[in-house]
Formats: sequence, C-alpha cells, structure tokens
Amino acid sequence: MSTFVEKLRQYSKPGYYDEFDYHWTMTIDLDRCTGCEACVVACQAENNLPIVGEERFAQSREIKWIRIERYWEGEYPNIKMGFIPMLCQHCDDAPCETACPVYATYHNQDGLNTQIYNRCIGTRTCAVYCPYEVRYFNWFTYTWDEPLEQQLNPDVSVREKGVMEKCTFCIQRIRIAKDNAKDDDRRRVRDGEVVPACVQSCPTEAMLFGNSKDPEAKVSKMMKNTRGYTVLKDLNTTPSIVYLKKVHA
Amino acid sequence: MFDHGQPSYAEVNKDILSTMLETGPKYWMLLGMTMSVAGICFFMPWIYQLFVGVGAAGMNHNAVWGSYLSNFIFWIGLSHSGTLLSAVLHITNSPWRKSIYRSAEAMTLFSLMTAALFVMVHVGRVWFVHWSFPIPNEMGLWPNFRSPLMFDVMAITTYLTASSIFIYMGSVPDFAAVRDASTGLRRRLYTIFSFGWRGTAREWHTLGWAYTFFAVFVIPLAVSVHSIVSWDFALSAVPGFHHTIFAPYFVCGAIYSGTAGIVTVMYCLRKFLGFERYIGQVHLDSLGKLLITLSLIWSYINILELFTTWFGGTSYELEALSFRLTGFYAPLYWEMLIFCAFVPLLMLFKKIRLSWNKMLLISVLINIGMLTERFIIVATSQPRKFLPGAFGFYVPSWIEISISVGSFAIFVTLFLIFIKWVPAISIYEVKETLKPLRRNV
Amino acid sequence: MAILGSFAFEEDFLDAARKLKSSGFDKLSLLSPLPLEEAQELMGLEKSPVRHFSLAGAIFGAIAGFAMAVATSLVFILPTGGRAIITIPPFLIITYEMTILFGVLFTLLGFHFVSGLPAWRDRPYLISAGIDRFVVIVEGAAADQVARAEAIIRDAGADEVRHVEEDQ
Repeated sequence: MSTFVEKLRQYSKPGYYDEFDYHWTMTIDLDRCTGCEACVVACQAENNLPIVGEERFAQSREIKWIRIERYWEGEYPNIKMGFIPMLCQHCDDAPCETACPVYATYHNQDGLNTQIYNRCIGTRTCAVYCPYEVRYFNWFTYTWDEPLEQQLNPDVSVREKGVMEKCTFCIQRIRIAKDNAKDDDRRRVRDGEVVPACVQSCPTEAMLFGNSKDPEAKVSKMMKNTRGYTVLKDLNTTPSIVYLKKVHA
Repeated sequence: MFDHGQPSYAEVNKDILSTMLETGPKYWMLLGMTMSVAGICFFMPWIYQLFVGVGAAGMNHNAVWGSYLSNFIFWIGLSHSGTLLSAVLHITNSPWRKSIYRSAEAMTLFSLMTAALFVMVHVGRVWFVHWSFPIPNEMGLWPNFRSPLMFDVMAITTYLTASSIFIYMGSVPDFAAVRDASTGLRRRLYTIFSFGWRGTAREWHTLGWAYTFFAVFVIPLAVSVHSIVSWDFALSAVPGFHHTIFAPYFVCGAIYSGTAGIVTVMYCLRKFLGFERYIGQVHLDSLGKLLITLSLIWSYINILELFTTWFGGTSYELEALSFRLTGFYAPLYWEMLIFCAFVPLLMLFKKIRLSWNKMLLISVLINIGMLTERFIIVATSQPRKFLPGAFGFYVPSWIEISISVGSFAIFVTLFLIFIKWVPAISIYEVKETLKPLRRNV
Repeated sequence: MAILGSFAFEEDFLDAARKLKSSGFDKLSLLSPLPLEEAQELMGLEKSPVRHFSLAGAIFGAIAGFAMAVATSLVFILPTGGRAIITIPPFLIITYEMTILFGVLFTLLGFHFVSGLPAWRDRPYLISAGIDRFVVIVEGAAADQVARAEAIIRDAGADEVRHVEEDQ
C-alpha cells in the first residue's frame, strides 16, 4: 500500500523524473560564432537530411535541424550582423510534447525531447506549438540519386513523407557512447565522450555539449557564465541550450 | 405560424412524404452534378496528395497548418447550430422549432462528416490515423490523453454519435409514416428503420423522455466541442492563438455561422421542395433576431480580442496583430468584419428580416465572412510567431482551393441523399403545431 | 382476439379508452399520430424509467473516462512537457466527453428497453393511426367479452371497428 501511495505521489508530480541519468545540455557562445554554417552541413550529413532543391527551398520547405538565424543591428553603413544557431532547445517543459495525440514526441530520462518517427501521424501540432520553429515536416518523400544514397548514415533512419522530424542531439552518438561506457563497466559516460555533429564541426569551438548533471563537466561550468541566457525565457519552456552573448551597453 | 392556411393532418403526411417518394429528373441531375464536383474537386486532388505528400498543399515550415484546418473549423462551426439549436428550443418548448429542426440537425451531421474528412486530408499519414483512437493498434500504444488533439478526437466522436442518435430517434415516428406510405423493398427497409413503431402511448412517452435526455446531453456537448476545437489553438503559445477568449469566441462564432447556415438551408428547402406552407415568416423572423444577437456578441468578442492584445502590449502579440490588420491578408480581415459585423445589422429592419431573398444573401455573406475568419486565424498567426528570423508566409495552393470547393459539393451531396431517405420536416411535430383534432375546436 | 377502434376525434378516443379501462380491459394500446399527454396519463405513465438509464450511463461514462485516461498514462509512462504522469485537468475533459457519450448511449439502450422496440413482428395496427386517426386496441379479451368491448368503442363514436387475430 505504501509503495502504491509513493508511486501515486511520484506520478502526480510535475516533471516526473526525480533524477535524470543525464541532462544533456549545450552551450553556444554567440561571441564566437562566425555564422559559417559548418554545423548546418555537418548535421545534414550526420542525420540523413534530404537536399530539397531550389524550388522547395524557395517555398521554405527546407529541412535543417540546425539553422543560422541572422539579425541585423543598425543602419548602413554602421551595420552589424549577429548570428543565432537555432536548433531544438530540448525544453524540459516542452510545449510540443503535450500536443502530440499519439505520443510521437516525449521526454526521455536523459532530458532529451525525443521524436519517434514511426509513431508520427503528421498532425503537425508540435510544430505549431514550438515557439522556436525548429520542427521540420517531411512534405514529400525525398530520395537520393545514385550514388548519393551510399553516404547515408546507417545509424539514422530515413524518414518518409508525412512525418515530423527535428534535432535529436545526435541521439545515435549518445547511444554508442552509453554502450561503450557499459562495456567498460562505467556508470556514466565521460565528459566529452559524446559530441554531436554540429559541435564537432564548429571551427571556432563556439558550441559545447555535455551532461549538466555532472558538475565537473565543461558544459556545467560554461552554463554558469554570466553571459548566459536562454531564448524566449518568458515562455517558461526551460530550454536545455544556453546561449552566451556579451551585451554591449 | 402558417402563411398559407393550416394544412390538414393527412395533407401534412402527403406534402412531406411526397418530397421523399417522388423524384424528378432534376434531382438526379443535381445529384449527379454535386457528386461529380465532389469527385473531381475533392477526391481526385486528395488522392494525388496521398501519393505525393502533404507538400501538394501550400503549407510550409512557417505555417504548418493551413486552409485544411481552417476549413475543418468552418465545418465544425457550421455543425453547431443544428443540434444545439434544436435541443435548446426543444427544452424551452419553442413551437417554431418544429418544422425546421430536422434539416438543421441533418446539417449538423453532414457538416461534421465533412469536417472529419478535412482531418483526414490534413494529417500527414492518414493511413495511421486510427492510432489517435483508444483502440488496440499495431504499436501497442494508446493515445496521449493530455493532448488537445485527443480532446478533439473524443469530443468530435461523441458529437457525431450523439447527433446521429438525436436525429435518428427524432425521426423514428416519421420512418413509420414512410413505411405506411410505401410498398415493396422500401416498406421492408423502413419497417426495420422504424423499429416497428406504432405510436402507442407508451412509445410516445418513452420517446419523449429519451429525446429530452438526448437534448440535455447534447447542449453541453455542443458547447464543449467547439471550445475544445478552439483549444487546439489557444493552448499553444503562438501569438494570435493564445487568447483565453478563444473558447467563447469559437462557440459564439460557430453558432453564428450555423444559424446563418440554417437560413440558407431553409431557403433551399422552401424553394426546391415546396415547403412554403411549413416554413414561414415566423421562422425567418426568429432566426433573423437570433442572428442579430449572435452577430453583436461576435463583434464584441472581436473588439475584446483587439483590446486585450493591445492592453497586454507584448511585442510578439503586437507584431502578429499588426500583420493581421495591415499585412497581406488585411483585406480579408476587413472583409470579414464587414460581412459578419456590419451587414447583419441590416436585419434590424423587419422588412429585411421578412424577405427571403435578402436573408439568403445576408446568411451566405455571413458564412463567407466566417470562412475567412477561420482562415485569417490560421494563416496570419503562424507566420509571425516569436523569432523574426523564422517569419514566413503562406498562400494556399490550387489543390487546397479545389478541395475546399469540393467539400461544399460533398455537403450538398449528403444533404440531397438525406432528403430522399428521411422526411426533411418532422411530420408528427408539425401536427403538434396544428389545431388538435377535437370536436369542439 | 384484438379489437381495433379508430376515432377521428381526440376526446371520443380518450372517452372510449377511459370506459374500457373502467370496464376491466387492462391490455389497452392507445395509438395516436402525435404524442398525447392525456393518453399517457390514462395509461398511468408518469416518470419514465429511461432517466435511470441516463444517470447510470453518465456515471459509468465518467468513471470509465477518467479510468481510461489514468490507466493509459500509467501503462505507458511517457512524460510529456514537464507535466506529471497523472494530470488531472486534461483528464477531466476526457471524463466530460465520455460522460456524455455513455449518457447518450445508455439513454438509447433505455429507450429500447422501456419501449419494447424494436418489435418487427406483426402487431395490430391501422395505417391511419400514423396519419389522422386515434386508435384504441383491446388485446387479450376473452371471447365473451369481445362484444362488450366493441359496444363500448362503438358507443364512444368510433368510425371503424375491426377484429384482428392475435398470433400467440
């Protein structure tokens, strides 16, 4: 009986997870970002993102799990450009998750906002509810011309038409790192063992990825930097991505 | 009540049943026409879209919901007056309900079906749509009852079930009348449909009670259905969707467009089925007054929406609002205001309220306005969400326009089939409004 | 043996029914083309048991709806949006809809149960009862009582009286 009450209490608690095994977090230092889009390309290659072509790009139907948003400040000639790499924020209180009628997106115990392609029926509600607009819909089934299909990543599924997709924090790499840790009889993955494709390819090392549950991890220290902020904080989505930017007074 | 003198009981049976039992070539031509329009404009583009993907429509990354959803809301809205109005008037014992409610309920049923079709057209993988029902499926996973879309599934299924039962049970005595007036296969069919109804005191008594209970269940249901539809929008944080006023706004708008729809349907029934005797000026007058009331409520909520947005003063909301009022779709916004807020005020004049042609025009304009209203909500909010870097634009493709046109043909087709299967006016309830068969009257 | 008497006027019909009832003919059926409150009162029909069905259905639906939502979320523990697993507010909406759904379905069941319909077998009936005649049917009258019943019906002013064999 007492376990029942205990369970019930646990189930009625917002957030549900007492203790994440991991809480995967990313920091993006905007002062270092040059807007080179290497992350975009790396993501494209790693996650089997389709190349949609010029026409569909013009219809804004491109699929880019990470995109560089450009913002202009001032008037010509005193003009400045700023960049924000925008990818799924893996919010702890994600608006998209509750919206899905078929549980195609939910929160896993690593603090990741997961997307299960084969459960998706394509109502696109999650994309409407996402304030960051980082969910991408497969408007068509995309194919790769020979021999390009040879370069597809075997660890990542290829999505069909009518399915929503988005950044997974390269969950396949997290999976591999966890398996390796298990093989070596380690409880946790070491800091720096998981590197998503975008972080790996960033030439200025603007991005950092790690487990913020580990206080010694680089990312945990970086998060505490006074330049840190989260995007659209007033919506209370508690994102897992911390951006760093020095604000010029 | 009756503009052209009271009919006798036998005449009521004859007049109403003859519209069902006698079918001219015009009917078949019209039916053939609407069916082909439905096939060509709705189903063929849809089949094309099934093969290609939802990309055949004009939606894109910045506006993933498009006209399919706005049409869905429109049809759900149109469904709102029939059963709701019929139930409210039944409980309040309004005699003018009796000759119009059957067709109004049929309108509910068929527009709900059309709306359900739009859900099918909207989703990306319609072949898996049964996953959103709480039934065992190949994934071994039941749906997420926390999702506003799941509320929708439950509400619309319940509404469809309840309004089918409501209209069917109200028609049982009339099915018996059809049975008595026909022979052969039709007689056998209607024997089954009418459950062997004889009209004994016990049967009438039970039907009356059951019918009142259906009405009591249906009223809160109808209110809940459209408020739930509004939560699909309002429960998101999207500027332009995220208003607490949305539930009453949608419910009011739904009843508004539904009542206008009833006026249109009444006009057609009168004109094409020759029900001049049964649908009279009293109905038109009452519906007109109802429409003015609803139009005023609707206008008030619109003003409130503008006011709360302005008062809140958040930059996102103001941006979305200014896009709505002055952006590409601004003409549509002002058109909506004219059709739904100003034109209906003409009905303040009794002369206009009593003229069938003018009322037809006004009711059609109201529904055009309401169709645009839903489109504006969907199309001007999403492209102006939060991040200016992701601002976009959405224009419907020809496939979407064709499917929208086709949906009207589907509705008319269903209605045409309906008038040949069910008496379009309730025979026994019309008799209740006639002077009773008494010696001393 | 069933005796059918058809009347053109409501008060004759009610009069005949009243007299038949007081003369001990209990198996009466009063057919009318529209609901008549007096006829229902005469048959001793007040509150219909249908209402118990509605209540039972609504209660069943409410419990079932809430239980379904809670059970589903407990069987598949998939946290979403930082919410709890058992989230009461959204489940109340499911409960609300299911209350109405089962309320309606049980009321339908109640209608069939109480009214005795569907009854697709042949029963004594006059087609005019669906148009503009009120019909009294006396069923189960003993052979010696038939003439008396017929007399009562005729006296009340029936424009047609018929005898129909009842199939046992």
